[in-house]
Amino acid sequence: MSTFETPDREQEADPETLLEDLLIGTEAHRNAPGVVIPPNAVQEALTRLREDAGYDHLSTVTAQEYADRFEAIYHLRRFADPTDELSVVVPTSKEDPTIESAAPVFRTADWHEREAYDLMGISFEDHPDLRRILLPETWQGHPLRQDYDQDRPQVVPLREHRNPIAENQQTAEGEDTMFLNVGPHHPATHGVLHIETVLDGEQVVDVDPDIGYLHRCEEQICESSTYRHQIMPYPDRWDYVSAGLLNEWAYARTAEDLADIEVPAYAQTIRTMGAELSRIAAHMLALGTFALDVNGDFTAAFMYAMRERERVEQLLEELTGQRLMFNYFRLGGVAWDLPDPREEFFENVREYLNDVPEAVQEFHDLLSNNEVFQLRTVNTGVLEPEVAKDYGCTGPVLRGSGVAYDIRDKDPYGRYDDLDWEVVTEDGKDNYARVLVRIREVEQSARIIDQCLDRLEDWPEDDREIQSNVPRTVAPDGGQEIYRAVEGAKGELGIYIRTDGSDTPARFKIRGPSFSNLQVLPELAEGEYIPDLIAALGSLDLVLGEVDR
Amino acid sequence: MNVVPLQTVRLPDWLAGVLGLDGLLGTVVGSLIGAALVATVMLTMTAIAGPWAKRKITAAFTDRVAVSRIGPYGLFIIVADSLRLISKELIVPENADRPAYDIAPIVVVFSALIGFSVLPMGNLGGVSIQLADPEAGLALVFAFASIATIGLVMGGYASANKYSLLGGLRSVAQAIAYEIPLLVIAISLVLFTGSLQLSEFIAYQQQPFIDLGVFAIPSWFAFVNPFAFLLFLVANLAEIGRNPFDTPEAPNEIVAGYQTEYSSVYFVLFYLGEFLHIFLGAGIITVLFLGGGAGPLLPGFVWFLIKLWAIFLFTQWMRSAMPRVRIDQLIGIGWKGLLVLSFANLLLTAVVVGVFNVGV
Repeated sequence: MSTFETPDREQEADPETLLEDLLIGTEAHRNAPGVVIPPNAVQEALTRLREDAGYDHLSTVTAQEYADRFEAIYHLRRFADPTDELSVVVPTSKEDPTIESAAPVFRTADWHEREAYDLMGISFEDHPDLRRILLPETWQGHPLRQDYDQDRPQVVPLREHRNPIAENQQTAEGEDTMFLNVGPHHPATHGVLHIETVLDGEQVVDVDPDIGYLHRCEEQICESSTYRHQIMPYPDRWDYVSAGLLNEWAYARTAEDLADIEVPAYAQTIRTMGAELSRIAAHMLALGTFALDVNGDFTAAFMYAMRERERVEQLLEELTGQRLMFNYFRLGGVAWDLPDPREEFFENVREYLNDVPEAVQEFHDLLSNNEVFQLRTVNTGVLEPEVAKDYGCTGPVLRGSGVAYDIRDKDPYGRYDDLDWEVVTEDGKDNYARVLVRIREVEQSARIIDQCLDRLEDWPEDDREIQSNVPRTVAPDGGQEIYRAVEGAKGELGIYIRTDGSDTPARFKIRGPSFSNLQVLPELAEGEYIPDLIAALGSLDLVLGEVDR
Repeated sequence: MNVVPLQTVRLPDWLAGVLGLDGLLGTVVGSLIGAALVATVMLTMTAIAGPWAKRKITAAFTDRVAVSRIGPYGLFIIVADSLRLISKELIVPENADRPAYDIAPIVVVFSALIGFSVLPMGNLGGVSIQLADPEAGLALVFAFASIATIGLVMGGYASANKYSLLGGLRSVAQAIAYEIPLLVIAISLVLFTGSLQLSEFIAYQQQPFIDLGVFAIPSWFAFVNPFAFLLFLVANLAEIGRNPFDTPEAPNEIVAGYQTEYSSVYFVLFYLGEFLHIFLGAGIITVLFLGGGAGPLLPGFVWFLIKLWAIFLFTQWMRSAMPRVRIDQLIGIGWKGLLVLSFANLLLTAVVVGVFNVGV
């Protein structure tokens, strides 16, 4: 199913040799070696790394400020082997922070660099469209800079903003077009997303997602919170539609690797089970809302999905005490053991698992086997695998294009490596394939939960360690940098942390998978009809909390 | 062929008789009171359907519990919702094109109500519930029903909202694409009856189709020509804008289409119009295919209403279960599919009627 060829590692050049003439230094990050290159060699370096060394996935771009310089880090990895990582570090001057844009090499860099420009004020030369992305276009200053004055009030009047309908609206062929704001309040935007759309009749000519309505400064909040206790509740609020445990794991994995905290096998098993329950709940919501977008409101498919999700929510509530904002993981384990009486909990989960095949069949009956549904979704919103990789798409979106990239499989954490499950891919590349992937992943998650249950049931009573011994204050050694990712409900959910020796991170950067997945929307929607724009948007399964952070 | 004449008196004449009026005055007064009565019944049904029955039905389809708190079975929600809707503020967009903006909802409601004026709605105590029985009844009822589209386009255009405009344009494209098949299918029935008069349709369908000894299957056109019945059901779904053909208001695509900018009473009128149209569509199906008020034991008018509700249930079922087709697919299905099929049906029917000489 995978479109990958196994890279022949022997033949591929070592990054340092490859960049020999560009290299101005090296660094050692916890997850990867780092190469330091001058700001005017970004395109050259990334092109070489991509084409000759096989680093075809730009996970994210982290921008940060040191006392003497600004710095952008391009986190590279391979789709075929995400454990083979490389950080390309690009320092730039404090006075005139300018870096050559990587957008011509990796399309995904477009948005990541816009974010770096918006929040850190690094300008990118040769960038196709260097505008603010999260903040309003008239915002003054760059909020993540050290000299930014947070107390200064900002007035952002509408009249000072660009007027999208000021210029003459015609297509290249001279057809009259119509500008249409889809959102920020629109039934199909799954949150507060604003899509500036240009229509020629019913056909979509141009799409420009405008994000930032839900920007809550999550990165900055995490930078001022302590590793040990204060950060953990926030991941729940990124992908806030019941994928909480998956998000928490992203932080837990990063921080545990950073501070060398061991997690007991028992806690890892509980985590794995909880995370997969979260995934089922999140996928159910994705299916349901997609049915809303394609079937219309008041449809059975949506309510059936919500009903299934509700059963998972109840299990999660039994496990964690919460329904959405779980705050259940702790560094070194989980907050508490399985609920008492254990047998009852096991029985409830088993009962649910027994019903999963029937529920999945119901969705096949209602959605995937429905001819009208197929008419609407097959061959619409086509996403070629190469395009998807270029845009940094991950998760079901990428797997719907036939690429078997799943962090659980390729860079295992928790108990995933000794459980029996499969990475789900579909070759359809269209909206239909993305929906099918989600339906089938529910089955795989159920398989994983089932195996976790088997182990938990037989776990010897004196070995049920839910948390390892973690100091009251976690303050990793200063000067460390790490990027770690887990497979969230939407794809690769990664976190970059730089330590400064204190008990709070010096830089905390979140890679929300929906951010990259949303960026690909114009590729899916342009040239299609409005209903397919909506269907494509739904098939990307966005959560704006994760896009805007 | 001998058509059994209806041994009943029509509602307006009966009313005139009761009031002791005759001549022109009797006709006018009887018609007005009759129209008021019929309109009241239909509006009451709409009031039950909108806030209560629709919710209950969709809830049943989607595993939910709906409106259960106010009154027995939540029935008083009808009163509560009416009060709520009427007491809302009427917000008119600044650039709205008045008076078109204000006329549109009224047009939508009245076009549907007028449609009921020619439908034979069965008998009640020897009185035929039919306001008028013109010779061109079939053509008239379709003409009335399609006036609504003008209201929708008017509302869509006059709202000065792009979503409304798209909705209005979609509705007119849809109406043109689906009214022609509807008419062509109806014409295939005229081959049997030999008349456009709707009472003739009822009379024709009272004849036995297949005599089974114990009871006879009546020659309802749904039995005589099930293919035409199916086509008509589908085309009717598009005509009244319900799933899978609810593109003109497709909330997830174009917010609410033509009614995006309507609030308060205007909103109520649009909704009223929509439900009246579902019932009018159901009424047309009932008269053309299901024998009008024909049925055992209960009075004809009651049977007529039961059939109306059955078709209403069918539309809600479709709404709960079917995905919505895309606008271009919808137009394609209309022009390339239904139109061709309906002409095929017409030809086929003409051949059958000619060969077996079953028509008038």
